[in-house]
Amino acid sequence: MTEKTLSPVDVVVVGSGWAGSIMAKELCEAGLSVVMLERRGRRSTARDGAYPSSLDELEGAVRYKLFQNPADTTVTVRNRMDQEAVPYRRLAAFLPGAGVGGAGLHWTGVHFRATPQDLRLRSHIVERYGRAFIPEGMNLQDYGVTYEELEPFFDRAEKVFGTSGEAYTVGGKATGKGNIFAPDRSDDFPLPPLRDVYTAHLFRQAAAEAGYHPYAMPAANASQPYTNPYGAQMGPCNFCGYCSDYACYMYAKASPNVNIMPALRRHENFTLRSNAHVLKVLLDSTGRKATGVVYQDAEGNHITQPAGLVILAAFQFHNVHLMLLSGIGKAYDPVSNTGTVGRNFTYQNITNSTVWMPPTRSTDQFIGSAGGVAIDDFNCDNFDHGPHGFIGGSPLWVNQAGVKPIAGAKATTPGVPRWGSAWKKAAIDTYRHSFTINAQGSNMAYRDVYLDLDPTWRTSYGQPMLRMTFDWKDNDIRMNRYVIGHLEGIVKALGARDVQYGMREEGKPFDVRAYQTTHLCGGAVMGEDPKTSALNRYLQSWDVPNVFVVGANAFPQGMGYNPTGLVAALAYWSAYHIRTQWLKGNGGPLVTP
Amino acid sequence: MNSRTFPRITPPASLAPRHNTQGKHRRNTGFSALLFCAVALSVHLSAPVFAADSSPVSPSASTPAQPIPATATHAPADPATQDLITKGRYVAAAADCAACHTAPAPGSAPLAGGYPFALPFGTLYASNITPDPAYGIGKWTEAQFVRAIREGVRPDGTSLYPVMPYPSYARMTDADLHALYVYIMHGVQPVAQAPQANTIRWPFSLRFPLTLWRWMFAPSPEAARASAERSFASPELARGAYLVEGPGHCGACHTARGMAMQERALTAQDGPRYLAGGAAVDDWTPPSLRGEPRTGLGAWSEADLTAFLRTGRTTRGSAFGTMEMAVHHGTQYLTDDDLTAMARYLKTLPPADTKEQPWQADSAASRALLSGSRLTQGQKLYLDNCAACHRSTGAGYAPAFPPLAGNPVVMNRAPDSIIHIILHGATLHGTDAAPSAFTMPGFASRLTDAQVAALATFIRQAWGNNAPAVNDMAVTRMRKTLAPPSPHGSPEENPEKNTVTGGAENGIHPPTDAE
Amino acid sequence: MPDIPHRPLPTSPEAAPPQPSAASPTRRHVVQGLGTGTAALALAGLAPSAGAQAVPQGGTGRAGSATPSAHTPPAPDAPRFFSPADFALLRAACERIFPADTQGPGAIALGVPNFIDAQMDTPWGRGELWYMQGPYRPDAPANLGYQLPYSPQQIYRKGLAGVQAWMRQTHQAAFETLPPEEQDRILEALEHNATQFDGLPAAVFFEQLRTDTIEGAFSDPLHGGNRHLAGWTMMGFPGARGDYMDWVDQYDTPYPYGPVSISGETA
Repeated sequence: MTEKTLSPVDVVVVGSGWAGSIMAKELCEAGLSVVMLERRGRRSTARDGAYPSSLDELEGAVRYKLFQNPADTTVTVRNRMDQEAVPYRRLAAFLPGAGVGGAGLHWTGVHFRATPQDLRLRSHIVERYGRAFIPEGMNLQDYGVTYEELEPFFDRAEKVFGTSGEAYTVGGKATGKGNIFAPDRSDDFPLPPLRDVYTAHLFRQAAAEAGYHPYAMPAANASQPYTNPYGAQMGPCNFCGYCSDYACYMYAKASPNVNIMPALRRHENFTLRSNAHVLKVLLDSTGRKATGVVYQDAEGNHITQPAGLVILAAFQFHNVHLMLLSGIGKAYDPVSNTGTVGRNFTYQNITNSTVWMPPTRSTDQFIGSAGGVAIDDFNCDNFDHGPHGFIGGSPLWVNQAGVKPIAGAKATTPGVPRWGSAWKKAAIDTYRHSFTINAQGSNMAYRDVYLDLDPTWRTSYGQPMLRMTFDWKDNDIRMNRYVIGHLEGIVKALGARDVQYGMREEGKPFDVRAYQTTHLCGGAVMGEDPKTSALNRYLQSWDVPNVFVVGANAFPQGMGYNPTGLVAALAYWSAYHIRTQWLKGNGGPLVTP
Repeated sequence: MNSRTFPRITPPASLAPRHNTQGKHRRNTGFSALLFCAVALSVHLSAPVFAADSSPVSPSASTPAQPIPATATHAPADPATQDLITKGRYVAAAADCAACHTAPAPGSAPLAGGYPFALPFGTLYASNITPDPAYGIGKWTEAQFVRAIREGVRPDGTSLYPVMPYPSYARMTDADLHALYVYIMHGVQPVAQAPQANTIRWPFSLRFPLTLWRWMFAPSPEAARASAERSFASPELARGAYLVEGPGHCGACHTARGMAMQERALTAQDGPRYLAGGAAVDDWTPPSLRGEPRTGLGAWSEADLTAFLRTGRTTRGSAFGTMEMAVHHGTQYLTDDDLTAMARYLKTLPPADTKEQPWQADSAASRALLSGSRLTQGQKLYLDNCAACHRSTGAGYAPAFPPLAGNPVVMNRAPDSIIHIILHGATLHGTDAAPSAFTMPGFASRLTDAQVAALATFIRQAWGNNAPAVNDMAVTRMRKTLAPPSPHGSPEENPEKNTVTGGAENGIHPPTDAE
Repeated sequence: MPDIPHRPLPTSPEAAPPQPSAASPTRRHVVQGLGTGTAALALAGLAPSAGAQAVPQGGTGRAGSATPSAHTPPAPDAPRFFSPADFALLRAACERIFPADTQGPGAIALGVPNFIDAQMDTPWGRGELWYMQGPYRPDAPANLGYQLPYSPQQIYRKGLAGVQAWMRQTHQAAFETLPPEEQDRILEALEHNATQFDGLPAAVFFEQLRTDTIEGAFSDPLHGGNRHLAGWTMMGFPGARGDYMDWVDQYDTPYPYGPVSISGETA
């Protein structure tokens, strides 16, 4: 192993997913020299998304071709502070990406904006229900940025992503379609919504019949060939059903690789280094200024890349991990309730219910896209929480992104054997005639749910692993059960022959063995108060003002919607303020605490 | 970031027809005939084996736009020279020098030679035309340079192989050639790299017969200039004719060749054989660029043509094979005015085949594919392999995935291109105006020869297409001549490389389209 | 999120009860024709088969290995990783987990044992896709995931050797020579963690076997299983088609075409 110091650049961007690619593009456009460091290898749709060889469920969704290998880096997990955390040795509950494009390459493409309520949830709850409505131990916070402020950046992201959807109002004018709970938009979606697959169509009808308000889910899957503002082209989604876990061979699912890299790579002031695992951000002797980063290359050399501005844009928990390893900000301590880095770690509260339709019609679950049909009647504060005493909500939806047969066959049904002929029969029946309705709910932040460094286990780079302390809490369990309780009317309207409701139960701890979602959030959140947030409203570290930390780590709590749309908008928002304010100033804080 | 030079033209990373960087050669089957004839004419012994063909040339344009394989070289030039360099770089793009004189391997030095031309009796390698005094053309005077380009004669008096399109370049103006010379000498990084030795076997290695060929078939510069100065309806058409007939050397591929491999027409004045389609190059068949409504450009608008030359992609079809390289290295850098001029000029060429009827849509094939019932072998193969991107209607999802229905290259009499692309796929590189790369995978490992033939026949006869059927033998032959495909087909670039820059660090534009 | 639909259950090799861990489904109605599976959670050693009680009325599959199948099982391909004795046991066990029956061929005809054999010699089989550094805490709560020091290769080596030894002890016969009903009872015992093999809980081995059997039956044939695409045909999965543009909104018509594989094989 050798050590080497490279010549300085203006900006180093850690991570090549959506957040990193957006930041790099914006800062290249501003004329800065940008080096992007990606922990793993290069990607190419021609190779990683080749037709038809990439349509391989074993490689893609079982052996996790596009994902982080735990042998390389992983985390430790425990439910409670009095337990010893143990390593997350096999991928299952959540699946961070690896390689250029990051999780932006293997995501499905569900592309929501955040709601105005989500962005100022604490204020909203206090205004409507009073301060006492917030349970003890819940760290309910505002983002410090409003929907109105972010709207242009949501719009920008949708145009870059080639998002398909139906607006409810544009400039205050109703379109006659869309989600009646959706906030106003300055412009329509760049593309019309994807067509409903059969099961989504059934759900749309049944939800309307049950008195709810179904709408087409916004999806960053192009419903038509599309060229984005960078000139990058997309093919149309043909509902192949290989969204989640795969590179899209149709170039129809938005990814940094398809939508940004082709243009980013043409900037002369851009350099991408792959197989460059960042070990820490280097700070000067004051600890208030970053001087660059040190990374380990493919040969094991330690390379120092000096830079004037450091953008952390790795996956949510890697950003928090790097801050802890580098000493950026004060580590959170739940006992003394001090420090901010690691605080407000959240997840997403998702449960899946299965509906069996009469055997006369196949549900064709293998057909899929990131589209689908949802109702927001139980999301956010779209209903009166007063009588229920919990905070948060869930959209309900059919978002059939293609069920392949290994996943279909692994699903078991309580009361039915898990192997043998009876299982075979039931598995085939379930695959052919059932479908899934998801409740993807919010997850609030709590004082004893957090991230810190593990005292025992180390990564393959010899650094302490990140430790997750996470469990489901009463507020979130009750929210989920309340929402699922309302599924019955829809199921009835569906004419289902059978149903299996998936819901949270008291006493059932968070379980890492079953896939839930990769929507991990928080840990280095944005906000208005440096005592409760690691970042200011521009995603700038309160403590080291030439470090910006971009990603879902900035969410103070987990929302019901998918995070990527908000991550992208926050990246554009942050970049805009770097370009228009930070670069013109003295490199100091954009917000005075 | 040290240097600010941003060379936009790239070493041809990997283009559709080439899979392994070394293994694939540009092939023009007619050359054996040519050389054989030529040798038969004479028994004079001459030039030793050495750099084969040579240099580039071309005209300048109104507003010089983007560049070619530039790399800041020697001392910074004075403003007048700098202006000539810029102009010359544009000329080099219009003449598409890099497509042949830059080796295909990712990261190859611009214009340092090495592109292989496979001939039945050996391989010719494009020469190093960087200004290196020992290995390139650094010692050539401008007069020597101009003579080589216009007349195919090297400073030592020997003749260039007419792989170098000097019969077209003969039309180039003094001003363009001067700018090109200045660019090569002052705007291109010298590369001290010996050109790979040709492996042409005696007696085909004799150069003397080429001189006879030149006398017989290559126009004198005076004659060429005279034809370039003929009268046109507008200055724009004159400009278009100059670009197409001269530096663009479109006819080198798109005009049929005679017994001795001479182009049977060099300009529109020479009659309807000009640009009426040529024999396969590298197993890609150049279609007619004249006004035939089905197999030519009769149905293409001027806007289609300019979009095609600018980006390689239109709603009517995408560039692939050797044409993709011409767009990638050349036409994408031309100004809007020049592309429009070329398109207008091409649209003046009447059909060579005046009886050809326009393509008319026929929905029978789409209906069969949508029936869900029993399908013919061709239909079934299309459904299993092609319909995902090209649709059951054959309309594709243009401009991302090109249409097959009504596409002239699909209906070409010769099936070479369609067989070739089914077997090996193709990559359309990103351009400045359309940065996305698209790759069609090859299906060589998925389909037998008989299946490829059935599939190609279906595609050539569905939706109103009406080209002759394809037989297994043609597929078998093609499969033998093509280099082995990569597993599952995608012509891969070099996604393994760890550092990719916009060019500032190594002076080379990112060599791959890996994302 | 859309992540959701397709990875419904844990199927984790841990000795967890066979039910989802993230959220417990409450099944309000029982599929007609299926028994209630009263014993599904019984943790008894060699208790009477829970699975057997849940055989559908008129059930066919469990009764014997000679059940008709769409495809004649091919001659056993020689294993590359497993010893002949291990492979004989593996084949028999896979076939009971995924038996030939009226639904279609069983694990052997589908090439599942050979699929598993081939998977052993992959980065996954060698444990290179798992975090395999100590210290190990095998007694950590099950919901915190796999905590054993064994790679898939080691799980199979230990599990197969363990079953063989256990059979010698309890049955004085090799597993593969026992009648199917007896084989099922033994597998149920493994499923319910009735014993352990030198630090490897029997249920961990069973879950690995079950998971890999499913993967072999339903992955692309290029991995060695799902021979003749018979697994996909059974499930009604069209394979590596990747195109439903014309069918997505034909609500009255189920998708009509049969499966195709990555190599272009059709059923």
